[in-house]
Amino acid sequence: MKLARWAFLLLVPVAPLTQRQIDARLGVYRAQEDALYLTGKQLRRLAPGFEDMLADLYWLRTVQYYGGQRIWGGGHYELLAPLIDAVTDLDPRLEIAYRYGAIFLCEKPPVGAGDCARGVAILEKGVGNNPLNWRLRQDLGFFLFTFLDDSKRGAEVLMEAAHLPGAPFWLESMAAQILYKGGDRETSRRIWKGMYDQAEEGPMKYNALAHLRYLDALDEAEALMRLVRAYEERTGHKPESLDQLRAAGLLRAPPVDPSGTPFVYDRETGKVSLDRKSELWRPLE
Amino acid sequence: MKRVLAVAANTYRETVRERVLYNLVLFAVLMTVSGLLMKQLSIRQDERIIKDIGLAAMELIGTLIAVFMGVGLVSKEIERRSLYPLLAKPLGRSDFILGKFAGLGFTLLVNVAVMTAGLYLTLAATHAAFDPNLLKAVYTLFLGLLLVVALALLFSALSSSLLAAVGTVILVVAGHFSDIIRNMKQVAPGTPDWMAQALYYALPNFRSFDLKSRVVHFDPVAFSDLGWITLYAVAYLGVVLGLALNVFRSRDLL
Repeated sequence: MKLARWAFLLLVPVAPLTQRQIDARLGVYRAQEDALYLTGKQLRRLAPGFEDMLADLYWLRTVQYYGGQRIWGGGHYELLAPLIDAVTDLDPRLEIAYRYGAIFLCEKPPVGAGDCARGVAILEKGVGNNPLNWRLRQDLGFFLFTFLDDSKRGAEVLMEAAHLPGAPFWLESMAAQILYKGGDRETSRRIWKGMYDQAEEGPMKYNALAHLRYLDALDEAEALMRLVRAYEERTGHKPESLDQLRAAGLLRAPPVDPSGTPFVYDRETGKVSLDRKSELWRPLE
Repeated sequence: MKRVLAVAANTYRETVRERVLYNLVLFAVLMTVSGLLMKQLSIRQDERIIKDIGLAAMELIGTLIAVFMGVGLVSKEIERRSLYPLLAKPLGRSDFILGKFAGLGFTLLVNVAVMTAGLYLTLAATHAAFDPNLLKAVYTLFLGLLLVVALALLFSALSSSLLAAVGTVILVVAGHFSDIIRNMKQVAPGTPDWMAQALYYALPNFRSFDLKSRVVHFDPVAFSDLGWITLYAVAYLGVVLGLALNVFRSRDLL
C-alpha cells in the first residue's frame, strides 16, 4: 500500500515533465500546424452544416495564436495568414476576421507580422466575398494607402466604398484628399481618427488610438526640433539637452512623448525622436 | 387516435427515463453557456459564438438522441419480446409505429425547448437583444430531427438496433453531404448525370433544414421559405413513415 502511494506521488509530476519534453522536441504550437495542411475549403467539406461553428473555433485559435506569439513567441507569425484564410473560407461573411486579420498581418513586428501584402490580400478576399460591405472596402483603401503607400488605388477603393449603402459621407472627401495630398500626416490622422470613431471597444480601437498617439508624438518631436532651432538662433549653439530648453523658458512641460517616455535628443544634429523603449515607438519605413 | 396517443405517451415516459438523455441535454446547455467565456478570447464575438455553438449543439445532440433512441424503438421491443403482448391487444401495427414516432418526437420537442431556453438565457446574460429569428432556425432544425427519427424507425423496423444505427447514421451523414452528391461529376467525371440527380433527390436533404448561418448573420428568412421546408419535411416524413409501416406490417412476428 505504501509502495503504491509512493508510486502515485512519483507519477504525479511525470505527466507535466514529459509534456515539457514533448513540447521541447516538437514545438509548443505544433498542434496548430494542421492549419497548414487542412485548408478552410477542406474543413468545410469535412463538417457540412457546422462550418460557422468551426469558423468560430478557428477564429478563437487565430486570436490565441496571435496573442501567444506576440507575448511569448518572439513575434513569429508564420501560421497567422493560413489560420485567417481558414476562418474566412469557413465563414466568408465573418467581417471581424478580415478586419482584425489584416491588422494582425500588416502591423510591423513585434506588434504584427509585418506582411501587409497578405493583409491586403485578406481584405481583398473579404471585399470579393462581401461586395456590399463598405467597412471592408474602407479598410482596404486605408491599408493600401497607409501600409503600402498606394494612394491611387487606396483612393479608388475608398470611392467605391463611399458609393455603397450605409457608407459615411466623409469617405468621398477622404478619397480625394488621399489622391491629391498623398501621404501627409494630417490625412493619416483623419484616417486613424475615422477608424477610432467607428471601432467598438477592443483591439481595433486600441490600434487606431496607438496610431493617433504616434502621430501626436511625431508632431511633438517636430515642435521640439523647432524650439531647438530657436534656442540655437538665440544662443549661437544647440542645447546640450532638451532640459536646457526648459531652463531657457522655451519649454514649459517636460520633453516626454504622449506615453510619458522622454524623447531622445541628438545634440550633434538637433534631431528629436521617439525612444525605442517608448510604447509608441515604431520602426521607420 | 387514442391508441396512437397511448403508445406515444408510453414511449415518451420510456425515453425520459434514460439517463443518457439528461447527460446529452446538459452537455448541450453547458456547451452553449461556455460561449460566455469567449468574450475576451474572440474579440467581442461572444454573441455570435453563443448562437453558433448553441444551434450546432442543439442539432448535434438532437441528432444523437434521435438516432440512438430511435433505432431501438421497434427492434428493442422485438428483442425484449415486449412487442408480442402489445400486438395481442387491439392495437394495430400502424398505431404502434405512429405512436412510437410521436412519442420520441415529443421527447425531442421537450429537449429542443430546454436547449432553446438555455440558448436564450445565455444570450440574455450577455445583454444581447432578443432575436426571435433564432426560433426559425430551431423550428427547421426540429423538422430535420423528426426526419432522423423517422429514418431510425424505418431501419429499426427492418433490422437489429446495431444495423439500424449504422444505416441511419449513413443516411444522415449522406443527407448532410447532399451538395457534394449533386456536384458529384466534379469529383468523379464519369458519373452519369441521372445518377447524381436521382441520388440527390432520393436522399433526405438535411441542408434544407439548416438555417443556422442565415439567422446568425441576420439574413431575412421568409415565412414562405419555412412553408416550403415544412412541406418538404411532411412529404419526406410521409414517405419514410409509410415505408416503415409497410416493412413492419410485412414482418412475420408470430
